[in-house]
Amino acid sequence: MALAIRRSTSDIFCAAKWFIRRDCRVLSTLPEKAEVEVATVTKKEKHIRTRGSRNSALENRFVYPEFLPDPNPNWRNSLREKLERADMLKRRNQIDIPEFYVGSILAVTVADQHSQGKTNKFVGICIERKGCGLRAEFTLRNVVDHQGIEVRYDLYDPTIQIIQVLRLEKRLDEKLFYLRDALPEYSTFPFDMDPEILPEGTPVPLNPVQVKLKPRPWLERWERQDLKGVSNIEEHLKEKDRVRRELRATPWEKYDLMKQYRQTIPIEDQNDIWAEVNSQLQQLHMTRKKMSRKRTFSTPKTQLG
Amino acid sequence: MNQAEVSKLVSKLRIKVPPKHRKLPNPKGPEGRLDKLRKTVTGLIKYERIELNYNRADEARQYAERLISEAIRHGDCHKPTMDTANFWLLEKELVHKLFKVLVPRFENSSVAYTKLYNAPKPQYARVLDKAVLELKGNPYPELGNKQTNNKYFIQNILLDAAKHEYRQAKYAEVANKIGQAGNETSPVNTENAEKLNEKPMSS
Repeated sequence: MALAIRRSTSDIFCAAKWFIRRDCRVLSTLPEKAEVEVATVTKKEKHIRTRGSRNSALENRFVYPEFLPDPNPNWRNSLREKLERADMLKRRNQIDIPEFYVGSILAVTVADQHSQGKTNKFVGICIERKGCGLRAEFTLRNVVDHQGIEVRYDLYDPTIQIIQVLRLEKRLDEKLFYLRDALPEYSTFPFDMDPEILPEGTPVPLNPVQVKLKPRPWLERWERQDLKGVSNIEEHLKEKDRVRRELRATPWEKYDLMKQYRQTIPIEDQNDIWAEVNSQLQQLHMTRKKMSRKRTFSTPKTQLG
Repeated sequence: MNQAEVSKLVSKLRIKVPPKHRKLPNPKGPEGRLDKLRKTVTGLIKYERIELNYNRADEARQYAERLISEAIRHGDCHKPTMDTANFWLLEKELVHKLFKVLVPRFENSSVAYTKLYNAPKPQYARVLDKAVLELKGNPYPELGNKQTNNKYFIQNILLDAAKHEYRQAKYAEVANKIGQAGNETSPVNTENAEKLNEKPMSS
């Protein structure tokens, strides 16, 4: 039996998958089942190991999405992309651009010659990240004195002095433009907020908060956008809106394979890019880690003084 | 200016992908376009070689390539891939063909899975460009003629026949000359006849 397994592991693997799917435990005798399970486990482990080894560099795409070029082939230029990547790494050597996502709360200090102290600090929730290369940008939103404020920053702007992540988390949606029509408490953050430090090695937490929208009129037709982070969207809809949402729905779009393909950078191209920048990014990450540790040791002294 | 989508990873296609899609205009809009392409992709997977208009063939080819590459990448236990195959293949037995026949066939291939030929069209006629789209490794005879040395090719048969005719004519000519010279008997004439005899044999 063992020999048979070794000879045609793939066949037995398929059979095992079938068994697991159908849950036909009655049909199989106990020893056979045990052997089959061992075979599946080893296969799965192999699969995971190969995936992990291959994907270590590919995981960078979530943290540094701006290193991937524009997927539109009309705007591709391999030389320009390479030069931009080098410039981005140079800029990252100068200041710490931390890992953050849409939904994280950031504090950005920029040089501003007209303000007191020549710097200007803004705190807010990141509602959008877009653009690639040196033109990558992000938008922060906050409510100051009952007035919604949004500031768009270029990520590699040389006037930016500090980017600090006050709370690192993700939200349920890719873009949080609906905060503009939500109640103000969902986008109000104090300017003297303390940074929350996550223990090392924890995955980025997902904040499952669902905001409440103000009554209409709205800036966009939120009901058509399939938002997960909004709780009370149905309250404000009329029958007409529901009918039109049905009419405008595009359920076939998730099967449009070429549309997806044209929005992504294929895995082979990504491997080349990450092979080029991964070592430097890792090095930068390690040095920043050491620096942050030093800083945490120095803070109590200043409090004592 | 866009940012690349990072939530999905796709394998690179081995064919040339134009920057924009073709609309394949029809009254139902983008949904109708996908319906058209679904029919074509289903036909391609079913018959392995189809003849159709060039535009639709080129567009359907990209979708077929993507479908096969997804099937190879994720296998048949990945639910989204199964859903996609279910959407694209209108006859459900073809889903089994995709995962059990085509995936093993193309798993280790390093080139594109399909081939697109320009089909002939009548000269001076105002008709759409035609194309033949086929899966590689299909059971049909090859369309392209790469073996130009094959003696059964019509061109080679005709050339051989022409050579044969030419030789026969020469032999007849020489035989005539020998017949005339036999009456006079001169050695120079016989030598000439031998040379003539050798020439067509060597050519």
